[in-house]
Amino acid sequence: MPATPCAQLLLCLMSVSARLGLGRYVEDNEASDGLYSLLSLEQKRGSEDLLFRRPLRCLDMLATDGYFTFVASRPQLACAAFIIAEPSEVISLELSDVSIDCSAGDFIKMFDGWVLKGEKFPSSQDHQLPVHQRYTDYCSSTGPGAKSRSSQNVAMVFFRIQSPDSGFTLLVKKLHNPFPCNVMSQSPEGSFTMVIPHQRRNCSFSIIYPVELRLTELSLGQAKSNELSPQRQVWSGCSGSGDYVELLGGNGVDTSKMFPVADLCFSLSGLAQMKIGCDNSVVRLVSSGNYINRVSFQYRLLEHNELPRSRENSLDNFCTVE
Amino acid sequence: MLVVPPRSADCRPSVAPISHHLLRPLLLRLGEEVSLRLGGGGASSFPSELAASSSSSSSVMNQALLQLTQRLLLARSQSQLQVESKNEEEEGKEKRSDESPISLDLTFHLLREVLEMARAEQIAQQADSNRKIMDDFGK
Repeated sequence: MPATPCAQLLLCLMSVSARLGLGRYVEDNEASDGLYSLLSLEQKRGSEDLLFRRPLRCLDMLATDGYFTFVASRPQLACAAFIIAEPSEVISLELSDVSIDCSAGDFIKMFDGWVLKGEKFPSSQDHQLPVHQRYTDYCSSTGPGAKSRSSQNVAMVFFRIQSPDSGFTLLVKKLHNPFPCNVMSQSPEGSFTMVIPHQRRNCSFSIIYPVELRLTELSLGQAKSNELSPQRQVWSGCSGSGDYVELLGGNGVDTSKMFPVADLCFSLSGLAQMKIGCDNSVVRLVSSGNYINRVSFQYRLLEHNELPRSRENSLDNFCTVE
Repeated sequence: MLVVPPRSADCRPSVAPISHHLLRPLLLRLGEEVSLRLGGGGASSFPSELAASSSSSSSVMNQALLQLTQRLLLARSQSQLQVESKNEEEEGKEKRSDESPISLDLTFHLLREVLEMARAEQIAQQADSNRKIMDDFGK
């Protein structure tokens, strides 16, 4: 039976849209390998040609692996490149072909995280390194000062180059991170499960959009041994507990300067949802290290007409929550 | 979401060659939103948020926005730059280790714009990479 013209057209459209990558982008932790994993070893050796290359801009955001070359056409006194990866990846940065004049005040500094308006993500409370260890200064370092690896899926490079035609090349590679802690979401919609296995640390999932958050699963206090520990049923005031989830809202990226809008310190398997009408919405899991803690949630962008209305008595600079 | 009207004293004419009537007010607001701070203080930071305008998603406009932003960033940084000698920075480095020496005063609005551009670039690059791999399979 011959295929109808409609079916032929549909097949043609589907194959074209697949080639152009126009299909709906689905967040998938495994998608970063994609077809690359099907290549033979010989084909992978030749995959250097597949690495993306383009010029780096003075203000830039990089979401792909590749080589990014900056050449100053005129003195560039304050430049920054933001780099972001998938939630379950960390970023490896490598400088090469560097031709800057450190003695004249040029610099290239790589930072483990993002800095925005004087605030750092992850905050000093949530990052395992002290602040000065999060900077890698090309001019100050001896030896392998040209490499850096981030602890989470965001990193930055700050640079100042005063002489025209000076510059550098930045190689960005992403590496898999099996237990992500501190994530900046690339998109205003998605879902995520954060697991902290027997670690005493605090992890934040930051969404730089106003969103409706739905916690779909929360498992706190899975004991190391077979002993059962009573679950706390307190709704508020969880900060006395060692393990809890808090939802934060604010207008900066530093989670320690944001306002807690809710916290949960008992396990739930149901739906808890909240609208956070803030520039930054954060799910933060605080863990004592005694247990394996897990939180799953979904989020979607709040449209302008869905933003919670501000109350008349609300504090200045406090975004609205519902 | 905090909505702050732009300060009229700081309004500057757009420097972009784009004459599209819809772009001009958006470009003016972008010019207000971005400033750079060097040396940990001194330069002013502008009110950060304006009502999100319904910006077109065309790549041409985004590219023009980025170029304008870069020109404005450079102009701002040159007028507000504090000259510090590198030696002074190094001597005080350990004591000032908790301070961020540089910070970009980028609004969330602009950060989201460049993030969305980067994601579009990633999706296009992934599609291109897939196509090359499929071509290799065919050989």
